[in-house]
Amino acid sequence: MSAKTNIAELSALLEQSRAAIIDEWKRTVMDLVGHKYPGVLSMDELHRHADLKLAAFSAYFASCREGLVTVTKESPLGKMVYDLSSDHDTRGIKPVDTALYLVALKKAISHQLVCAFPDSQEQFVEFLELLHGLMDQLTILSFDAYATTREKVIAQQSQSLMELSTPVIVLWNNVLLLPLVGVIDTIRARQFTERMLEAITRHEGIVTIIDVTGVPVFDTGVARHIMKAVDAAQLLGSRVVMTGISPEGAQTLTKLGISFANVISRVSLRAGVAEALKLVGRRIESIAGAN
Amino acid sequence: MNGSILQHLAVTTATDIVRARSVARQEAARIGFGLADQTRLATAVSELARNVLKYATEGSCTIHEDSTPVEMRLHITMEDHGPGIPDITAAMKDGYSTGGGMGAGLPGTRRLVDKFEIESSPGFTRVTISMVRKRQ
Repeated sequence: MSAKTNIAELSALLEQSRAAIIDEWKRTVMDLVGHKYPGVLSMDELHRHADLKLAAFSAYFASCREGLVTVTKESPLGKMVYDLSSDHDTRGIKPVDTALYLVALKKAISHQLVCAFPDSQEQFVEFLELLHGLMDQLTILSFDAYATTREKVIAQQSQSLMELSTPVIVLWNNVLLLPLVGVIDTIRARQFTERMLEAITRHEGIVTIIDVTGVPVFDTGVARHIMKAVDAAQLLGSRVVMTGISPEGAQTLTKLGISFANVISRVSLRAGVAEALKLVGRRIESIAGAN
Repeated sequence: MNGSILQHLAVTTATDIVRARSVARQEAARIGFGLADQTRLATAVSELARNVLKYATEGSCTIHEDSTPVEMRLHITMEDHGPGIPDITAAMKDGYSTGGGMGAGLPGTRRLVDKFEIESSPGFTRVTISMVRKRQ
């Protein structure tokens, strides 16, 4: 018997036992995962999903001329699984439960096949193979969909982190503070340089404090970015005070042969602030009478 | 080399640089290297990984330990199949760069570690750095 006939017969069989499959699947899903998400998964919704999915199965089988074709995420069936996964993800349903969802469907269909088709063992095995081939593809797709949704979230988060990560603080009149935190790559370097230069122009920054306490590793790449920023700041007439280099960092920098020659460096932000204020002719004093 | 491979990492994106150097730092800390040595090692790994990405676009980083009861010994090998370094002697000099950098990466890295081995030909470059300390 050809694959084509098998597929057509399997499709017809699914159509025939549609109601029973939906019924069994709904019950299994509710038993397995329903109690974890009270109010999130409803019988009605499950019924609608199952109905749509089985309809998509029929359409898919109809499109298979010679054996099963690969389900891509652009095909209607693939898109359905994809949407289901990302929908579940946004509603807080765990990926493992989405997988259970699909596994339960496979079980329900296999079970109904057993009930409806006891005739030839050979054909039955072929049916099961077709079914498993298809369901495995769907499970893999749903995994992929889940990963894609997560990646999107991560990309969004790192973008918002990026926007937060380089504030320029006006510490006092003409004194700016730029705390650098985290990994300094080309994009971030460009970003903080831009913001710093803009702030120097806007606030007529006479002194800019660059605090590198939060920079984990100072290599030549990072040093080059910071040096360029310093040069640009000095072109705009701002002195640069660098603070927060750790003892290990200082040792490493000298070994690398990097010296920030025209930069005033202070060990702590506190010392840096004092120096910066001195450069603009201010100082911090106790209020008379207070201890 | 005797001893055991602790980690084998791919270097294909900028995030891998960060991962490689923090793994190197963790391993160094676990073996018992001090904070200054950890930082030097992490910086050295960062330099080498950055070079791999810049010149060869992808490569790998292997962290290897063969400590003895007397000494802590950590080796890191960075390999790639990029175009290779045309003139190693020049590349090891301060201020020499073909990629628009500061030219401090390789000579600086050599000063950061105890042992520095480099071999390069078109299609294969391998740099091995080692840090060896007597146990206290």
